[in-house]
Amino acid sequence: MNKNYIYLTLLLIVLAGGLFLLPEKENHQHLDPEDLMWSIVQPTRYVSTDQVAKRIIEGDPTLELIDVRTIDEFEEFSLQGAINIPIDSIMVPEYQDYLGIEDMSAVFYSDDDIKADQAWVLAKRLGYDHIYVMKGGLNCWIRTIIKPERPASTAAESEFELYSFRRGASMYFTGAEIAIPDDESKQKVQVARKKKTVVAEGGC
Amino acid sequence: MGPLIPQGIITGEWDFVIALLMGIFFGFILEASGFSSSRNITGVFYGYNFVVLRVFFTAVVVTMIGLLYFNYMGWINLDMLYILPTYLTPMIVGATVMGLGFVIGGFCPGTSYTGVAIGKLDAIVFTAGLFLGIFIFSESYPLIEGFYNSDAMGRITIGEFFGVSNEVVTFGFVLLALAAFWGTWLIEKRVRKTVTEYKFD
Repeated sequence: MNKNYIYLTLLLIVLAGGLFLLPEKENHQHLDPEDLMWSIVQPTRYVSTDQVAKRIIEGDPTLELIDVRTIDEFEEFSLQGAINIPIDSIMVPEYQDYLGIEDMSAVFYSDDDIKADQAWVLAKRLGYDHIYVMKGGLNCWIRTIIKPERPASTAAESEFELYSFRRGASMYFTGAEIAIPDDESKQKVQVARKKKTVVAEGGC
Repeated sequence: MGPLIPQGIITGEWDFVIALLMGIFFGFILEASGFSSSRNITGVFYGYNFVVLRVFFTAVVVTMIGLLYFNYMGWINLDMLYILPTYLTPMIVGATVMGLGFVIGGFCPGTSYTGVAIGKLDAIVFTAGLFLGIFIFSESYPLIEGFYNSDAMGRITIGEFFGVSNEVVTFGFVLLALAAFWGTWLIEKRVRKTVTEYKFD
């Protein structure tokens, strides 16, 4: 038997045994504070209540609403299709399965921005992307979508368009009835009779 | 530093270029190891040639040890490596089918192409059968889809499943590989009278 085979065997055993001497290595990718700062100041991490309402109404399958309030608050009122991850449970692995789903954009919301923002920063530190915060939270939702305020008559046309969208969204979410103007149905059908044409008669 | 593509050091557009280069190297190593000959490959089942076992076991233990040292040096992040999801029963059945094809046809999919590349008739027939098999599998996929996706265990490693560290698994594999190297050497010497030792010059 060739001695070199024995050397190679010993080399493999030494290399493999050497692995036990290596210190434990943590591979957590710590988010650089500067990177975190730049992502926090980006306004694109917010979505407005109007955008969320539009996406719910359109049935956008990539929207994942995450309610970070407590379970009681969630059961009392929540947005359509939202899931509940209380902010103190965000570290639970079972809940984290809901974050970082490919092609899904997770939108955090709470009563206002604060808890949702905290959840956002935590999720960012945990290394998740495609996460957003619903600007203004549920307070803003009620103010803009559920009970939209009529803009002043001097407001720009775009504001009226937004208002009419919000009215429509409000009906969608609250189930309010559309008020059909009464007089329209009672309007009499005006039959326009054909006037007899008078042919100019000329004398022969 | 690594893995390079998930960290965006190399962009995803290079995937096919890298795949092509790696394919060329893989084919070269297969051919250089004598895997384009079905006699060499099936020898492992008849006990006269264990080169397949030695080449692949060497590749496995070198990669295992290397990855762990690279991870320690910070050259590669083990947590970012892609791990194939495990479907236990379908994988056992699939591996059995693959092994049967291996011992009957004398090639595995990769080596059949190296055989085609050097013009071996049996490899060409094998490759035609391979495509026929792929076609039959694809057409009958709706029938076996349930079984195909059953028994999903997710992206789990041997260490995670048994609750031991990667170092222990690697050490175990090295011992297993060495035992296999020495054991098959003894079998080979007995079965094949003309066996020659590699001379280190």
